[in-house]
Amino acid sequence: MIKLKNIDKYYDSRFQRTFILKGVDLEVKQGEFVTIMGPSGAGKSTLLNIIGLLDEPSAGEYYFWDEPAHQIKEKQKVQYHRSHIGFIFQAFHLIDELNVYENIETPLVYRSVKGKERKALVADLLDRFNMVAKKDLFPNQLSGGQQQLVAIARAIIGNPKLLLADEPTGNLHSEQGEMIMKLLKKLNEEGMTIIQVTHNENYAGYGTRIVKLIDGVIEEDFQV
Amino acid sequence: MLLKFVFRNIRKRPFLNFIKVFGLALGLSGILFITLFLKNELSYDAWHKKSDRIYRFTTKNPAFLNDSHFAREINSWQVLQMTDYFSEIENYTRLAPLRESIMFYDQKYYDVNQAFICDSTFFEIFDAELLIGNRETILDDPGVMVVSESFAKKVFGNSNPIGQIMSLPPGQFNAEKSDFTIKGVMKDFPQNSHFHPDFIATPVQGEIQGWAWSYLLLSENANPENITKQYRQFLADNSEQTIEEIQTTAYLQKITDIHLHSDKLREIETNGNITNIYVLAIAALILLLISMSNYASLNLGMAGFSSKFMAINQVLGSSKNTNLKYFLTESLIVVSLSILLFIIFSIPVQSIIKSSFNLNLMEGNFLLIVTIVFLFSLMGIFSGIQPVLKQRSGRLNSGVGKFEALKTSSIAANKGIIVFQYTFAIILIAAVLVISRQTNYALNSSMGVTEDNVICFESVHASIQQKFDVFKSELLKYQTVESVSAMLDPPGGEANDMFPFEMEGYQQEESSQERLGVLPCDYSFADLFKLNFLSGNNFSEKYEDNEGSGEYIINEAALFQLNYSDPDSIVGKQFQLISPVQGIEIPKGKIIGVVKDFHLSSIKKKVRPLVLFKRKNLWMINFVISYKDGMRQEAIDDIRAVWNEIFPAYPFNYEHVSTMYRQVYKTEILQARLLSVFTLLSVFICSMGLLGLSLLISRQRTKEIGMRKVNGARVSEILSMLNRDFVKWVIVAFIIATPVAWFAMTRWLENFAYKTNLNWWIFALAGLLALGIALLTVSWQSWKAATRNPVESLRYE
Repeated sequence: MIKLKNIDKYYDSRFQRTFILKGVDLEVKQGEFVTIMGPSGAGKSTLLNIIGLLDEPSAGEYYFWDEPAHQIKEKQKVQYHRSHIGFIFQAFHLIDELNVYENIETPLVYRSVKGKERKALVADLLDRFNMVAKKDLFPNQLSGGQQQLVAIARAIIGNPKLLLADEPTGNLHSEQGEMIMKLLKKLNEEGMTIIQVTHNENYAGYGTRIVKLIDGVIEEDFQV
Repeated sequence: MLLKFVFRNIRKRPFLNFIKVFGLALGLSGILFITLFLKNELSYDAWHKKSDRIYRFTTKNPAFLNDSHFAREINSWQVLQMTDYFSEIENYTRLAPLRESIMFYDQKYYDVNQAFICDSTFFEIFDAELLIGNRETILDDPGVMVVSESFAKKVFGNSNPIGQIMSLPPGQFNAEKSDFTIKGVMKDFPQNSHFHPDFIATPVQGEIQGWAWSYLLLSENANPENITKQYRQFLADNSEQTIEEIQTTAYLQKITDIHLHSDKLREIETNGNITNIYVLAIAALILLLISMSNYASLNLGMAGFSSKFMAINQVLGSSKNTNLKYFLTESLIVVSLSILLFIIFSIPVQSIIKSSFNLNLMEGNFLLIVTIVFLFSLMGIFSGIQPVLKQRSGRLNSGVGKFEALKTSSIAANKGIIVFQYTFAIILIAAVLVISRQTNYALNSSMGVTEDNVICFESVHASIQQKFDVFKSELLKYQTVESVSAMLDPPGGEANDMFPFEMEGYQQEESSQERLGVLPCDYSFADLFKLNFLSGNNFSEKYEDNEGSGEYIINEAALFQLNYSDPDSIVGKQFQLISPVQGIEIPKGKIIGVVKDFHLSSIKKKVRPLVLFKRKNLWMINFVISYKDGMRQEAIDDIRAVWNEIFPAYPFNYEHVSTMYRQVYKTEILQARLLSVFTLLSVFICSMGLLGLSLLISRQRTKEIGMRKVNGARVSEILSMLNRDFVKWVIVAFIIATPVAWFAMTRWLENFAYKTNLNWWIFALAGLLALGIALLTVSWQSWKAATRNPVESLRYE
């Protein structure tokens, strides 16, 4: 599904080139639950952003379902974001001005899903996440765990093939974190490919494979 | 969903959004009203269908009244000859002033503001609309009168004026009573005309002689220069002089240029001024610039608030245009709201302008208004989508985790704008200070204005002048009346008359025909206006002098013209004015006093040498009366009683001298007022921009402020930290503004022969005011940020 070949990411300052990622080769198959681990500054988030088409590699090739993603145009990226990739973040990044229902609905709006269908889909998801009662609340009225739940709901409502999670539990206490991880595992079991970044060894255990990144280089890559 | 987001976003920050809307509405109102005013000023006299071919004919001659350029022509009869002589002239009409300002009808006298004796061709040149009468034939007979609608209403009420006879009473310009038959009624002349007659009339007998404003209708494609160039030849052909001897120059001025480009003597009405037009146009442009830039910068700053929304949208698969749509929707709403607010503003502004300047700016300009509002909205929307455009051009990054990028760059852009705006504001404040000071100075150096207890009966009728002595002695019986006098030219008027003179020990070349300005007046003149005597005494209290004992008072300028520098040594010298009018003798006598120069006319011109002398019941056209302080109402009641007793048939019409002088400085007063409004407007808009910016900055530095406080910074230290930058910008603005303002104001003051100094404190005050306003604006926000509980602000992140 995802194939990274010799990916570099660097910034040029006046006198030297700073590598964030260096020669990263990574292949992720459909249905995997990959955990990227590593110390701060190892380039985990950058790698995730490149996979999610939010950032571009400085060198190397990236194939998303055999399509050369390092060459695709802006318009196609939008298409990928709409139908193939879902994101969740450490800081949730819900839209403060929109309520729970509207936040979840947003991706569907961009995919021009009709109003009735949207309603049905959102209602379905709210039901599944036990958040029907909270649908009219705004993000700042929710706890962190609840916000992340909404963020996950928003990320998967478009039924993406790939879910990218950048430290999804980083801002949550352990109980809430556990809940989120269980949810991700369940989604994976239902067939969704997930790539997550985390510091937490315990949460890495929920995945099927661990990739350890140190100073922009893959040090270890093993199945759990 | 986008709309929902926009609305919630606006509601979330009501104050900042209100600033946006208010600033735009203010800017729009200012620009619109200026444009309408400019359009009105530029449209003067263009309503005549033939306006591109109508020219006003004037001449100038160095031998005649010091080469003065009059708007009217003294030898107006030559226009007839010219029409025959020049093939370019298709037609002409002349307007001779009706100098008596009253008309008699049915036992009563009626005031006339402006009226002309005209040629029968009046309606062939001017497109005045006749309500009753046939424009082709109506003026063909002598003694025909066409009255304006409002004059007809004033005299005849609702009854039919046609066929009625109004008469011009005998006066000093006409020996006999003349009767005019009303044959037509015309619509009042539109406001954008350079004259507004109450009526026009054909001469009762003969043709117009002497002073008349002369208008020529040139044939199509005729070159007016042919006439002005050939004019000397024309004079030579029609007189015994050779072309070399003729010094008269002719001028033709397009009728549409009269309002803004003519500054001659004896214009029909006070004209506008092209400089004002330029100043206003520039002001409108600057206003447009600052209201747009404020809006754009505030928007750019506030884009930071929605940057998260945009970044997330990208992740969620929004197309590139979503951001554009968002900002478009937002500015559309803001612009619509500001148009709404503008409409709310414009209603009272319109009615104020209408009542105080008699100017209906909105009328007939619907299309223009819509166009301006539309263009302004387009620009507003364009400014509103700046954040997207900047983002597109790659100057702003959006992307997850880069939300900060928007904020920092917008503040850098804002700095320049703030400095520019404050420069403008400081220049404006300085200009307002200088202009108000100069106007005050002008008014205070005018006669009888400081105490404001002098009233004037302007241009009274000859038969009233005859009874001046009776009027005066009656008035002086009242406690309330302080002094009574009369004079030839009204306060604030132009004293253009000059007489030849003879003086003991003063050699004049025979051919030179040296003349001195004269002001015939009553013996109380110097007393009433509290003139300062440098030497000698006031007139003796007699209305008339005998031959040999004539009394003359001269001003300082005359003293110098007569080659004296010590006022004491000229007093007592033999002196005589020689009347240029046949049959009027001015008695020989002495110079009995020298007064300091006083400003009868505008202080724009140098005080001319002037001789005051007495005449009984002649040339005493303007009566002036001063009353005791604080007895205004009683005094006016008393004066009215005396007037009605002595001159029962004449209207009781007086004006305070201060009002008359204010009329003289009308342009300057208007400038001062307009500029004050502008200054308020622009300072307000500037403050709004600054407020928005300070809001952004303090919000951005919330964490820093919290940290500093936790580490022991005091509120005052935080305040000074937040305000320091703003102070710096205002100081930069001050440094740029001062030389510009100084230069502009020096140029402006050049209009005046007598002026106030450009003191350094004016600029300092302007700078301090700007600084004060800026600090006040910024501190409000800084104080809030600085006094906030640090725990709260740190948790905020």
